[in-house]
Amino acid sequence: METIRFDQLDETLYYEKLENGLEVYILPKKGFSKTFVTFTTKYGSVDRSFIPLGEQQAITVPDGIAHFLEHKMFEKEDGDVFQKFSEYGASANAFTSFARTAYLFSATNHVYESTETLLNFVQEPYFTEKTVNKEKGIIGQEITMYDDQPDWRLYFGTIENMFKEHPVKIDIAGTVESIDQITAEHLYTCYYTFYHPSNMLLFAIGALEPEKMIEVIRENQKKKEFAKPTPIKRIGVNEPSEAAIPERSLRMDVLKSKVSVGLKAKETSLSGREMLKHELAISLTLDILFGRSSDFYTKVYEEGLIDESYSYDFSLEQGFGFAMIGSDTHQPDKLVQAIKDQLKKTEQNWPFGEEELERVKRRRIGFHLRALNSIEYIANQFTRYKFNDMNLFDSVAAIEELTLADVKQAFQSLQGESQQTVFKILPLKDSTKTDSESEGSKA
Amino acid sequence: MFNTLEVAKDVHIHTRVTDQFKTVNFSLKLRRPLKVEEAAERTVLTNVLQHSNAQFPSTASMRMYLDDLYGTVLYLDTSKKGNEHVVILNVETVNDQYLKNSDVLSKVLELMHTVLFEPNFENGTFKENIVAREKEMVKERIQSIFDDKSRYAQNRLTKILAPNHPASISANGTIPDVEAITLQSLTDTYQRMLAEDVVDIYVVGDIDETKMVEELKKALPFGDRKSSLTITEIPKIQPTDTYVKEKQDMKQGKLHIGFSTPVFFKDVDFPKMQIFNGIFGGYPHSKLFMNVREKESMAYYCSSSYSAQYGLVYVMSGIDVENEKRTLQLIDEQLLAMQQGEITDLEMTQTKAMLQNQLKEALDSARGQIEIYDQYKDLDEDFNVEAWQTKWQAVTKEDVVAMAKQLHKETVYFLSGMEDEK
Repeated sequence: METIRFDQLDETLYYEKLENGLEVYILPKKGFSKTFVTFTTKYGSVDRSFIPLGEQQAITVPDGIAHFLEHKMFEKEDGDVFQKFSEYGASANAFTSFARTAYLFSATNHVYESTETLLNFVQEPYFTEKTVNKEKGIIGQEITMYDDQPDWRLYFGTIENMFKEHPVKIDIAGTVESIDQITAEHLYTCYYTFYHPSNMLLFAIGALEPEKMIEVIRENQKKKEFAKPTPIKRIGVNEPSEAAIPERSLRMDVLKSKVSVGLKAKETSLSGREMLKHELAISLTLDILFGRSSDFYTKVYEEGLIDESYSYDFSLEQGFGFAMIGSDTHQPDKLVQAIKDQLKKTEQNWPFGEEELERVKRRRIGFHLRALNSIEYIANQFTRYKFNDMNLFDSVAAIEELTLADVKQAFQSLQGESQQTVFKILPLKDSTKTDSESEGSKA
Repeated sequence: MFNTLEVAKDVHIHTRVTDQFKTVNFSLKLRRPLKVEEAAERTVLTNVLQHSNAQFPSTASMRMYLDDLYGTVLYLDTSKKGNEHVVILNVETVNDQYLKNSDVLSKVLELMHTVLFEPNFENGTFKENIVAREKEMVKERIQSIFDDKSRYAQNRLTKILAPNHPASISANGTIPDVEAITLQSLTDTYQRMLAEDVVDIYVVGDIDETKMVEELKKALPFGDRKSSLTITEIPKIQPTDTYVKEKQDMKQGKLHIGFSTPVFFKDVDFPKMQIFNGIFGGYPHSKLFMNVREKESMAYYCSSSYSAQYGLVYVMSGIDVENEKRTLQLIDEQLLAMQQGEITDLEMTQTKAMLQNQLKEALDSARGQIEIYDQYKDLDEDFNVEAWQTKWQAVTKEDVVAMAKQLHKETVYFLSGMEDEK
């Protein structure tokens, strides 16, 4: 087992790559009584077209399958895995995102037994037509629940607007219709293609002994047989760099409109240290342009164009990236104009210098240090960073290195009207119908 | 867990020295009896104080200063606890030792003084334009509940179940009460809060305790409180036995049920009721999860929660409209099963293990330490995890059956879409 020391942060990380290809990272945290373990595969909702393990022909599987598979992993021939975790007093959970599926637990007791349970349940698939069909009712209700959430619809509507081909535009859970097509066979195909240990990462953090933890994991993995690791063949798409649809809206039973401006990223091919610097540079620029200390924020807040729901964010993975700026508002068109004006100003004349950059750098450093108090944050983010060949613990140093030139260069990825899109949620009773309305049709 | 010092009458500083975190956390709590009109005043007040003071009159200037202090987080909020209304000032700042060269902590303490004691006054009151803007913000916040259907349904349930009762009074107040606020009333509320509220100041981090107490006394100079703020008993819920259905334009039906119980946080039966709730619907091994979700595939979520401050148990589930009766029946069956003693040893063991884990986990964050201590310090005993473990261990199946029998279904609330069939 190797050790990696981060002096400024006072952390020591332990690392080992097992014979079967599984990467294991262990971070002991003094003073904590809980341990948090995540077991993550680099497989998410965007992985819908691929060549299955051991085959020649590419297939496209029904939408929502990665998430469906995540649900079904918890059910075994002898019952529900939650039961076992509860016996240990461990809270288990899982989530599926665009690019990852993570299984996890937190516990203050029986940590090593729970780790074995985690490894075993994720590595012993059990799917039958009966259990698969039963899950359709549960996930159907999950999909319906999200359908009623205006903020989720706003988020996904904006993403749908931006992408023409890329599967990021497909809701992670799929639709009631698409999940109805899922069979046990589909699940096995996806499982064996994407759940090989060489496509997975285990991160253990908290109150633990690194030597003991690695020993438990090594022994557990030795007992199991896996196919030879083979590279996964995902089928990519040709996604144009500009946003697909400039504007759409949807009516829902809300009192106040919601609006989001999406900025589609042109640069989505970076990885490693370059990607880390790039995404930090964009986040810093957004802080300066749209943060709560910006002139923009003061103006729209004082004019009553935004409220406490106002937020902005940047997401980047290999193959897709986007920023979003939005708020609940009574004047969606005015707010959109203000956001677009602010972006235009940036293109014409770069609006800030070293002093502003220094201030937001401090803010981001503080944010990272605060986040390092949360072992959940560390485990989830470390895995995401690692899957993109970045290191979470390099963040503070990377922020310190960023120059004004880096920041300007990086932000070009979002610049230009062609990258912009607008999505609005409008109240049912609102009589003002906007020109662009298209009743939430899916493109 | 915390060292407590009474620095003036009913003003306490609670310190906890630990190197567990890379930050220092402060939490200031100002309490007085919960009254609906005052809730609105105090909420608008927190917004006004957060966005403007004599040194930093605009949001932007305040935010810039916070950015300079390595993104120090500072916010005010309101909440309620039993029969009390609480104004909260939470601050989290990076510990100086992780920064190259800085003296952030002392500046943060000065800033806390500025925020609370140096208001942005004009002619002896808050400024008109700021108050008007923040009244609007709070109104929008209250209204936004409508757009979140689960929260809205839960809100409606508590209003029907316990009208004009602390359980249903919002810490944010009501829209008419926000609208009624004047510059003078808000200024009076502010001065009353500083002079009369019971004060608890918490600090957690790698600090020099003695120095910190001295600095806090200087930064937050609260004098003796008058002992006039008596907190009354929480009134009993009047039996309602109602079934209310409402419709909105939405897809999923939201089924929320309210049960009354005679068991409150301060009662000896409290740990027993916690175990009851865990087995009933508190965890993924619970009867509601295993039957309504896993066995019958009726719902993505079906769970119960125990609001010990008010002696209430809530059940909530998101279902297809057509499954309303069936789901209600299933929920009733689970409660009945527990009343009839259908509780396994495994369910007891799992629930006790989960409660212990939950408490220990919550203590792994500075905020968790503050909140748990703040809640448990009101009991006539010193808080420690082991004591609670012992209490849970002592609970028997018979105890849980006895708890189940004391639940009384008061109100069913069902919010559903306009069409009955999809």
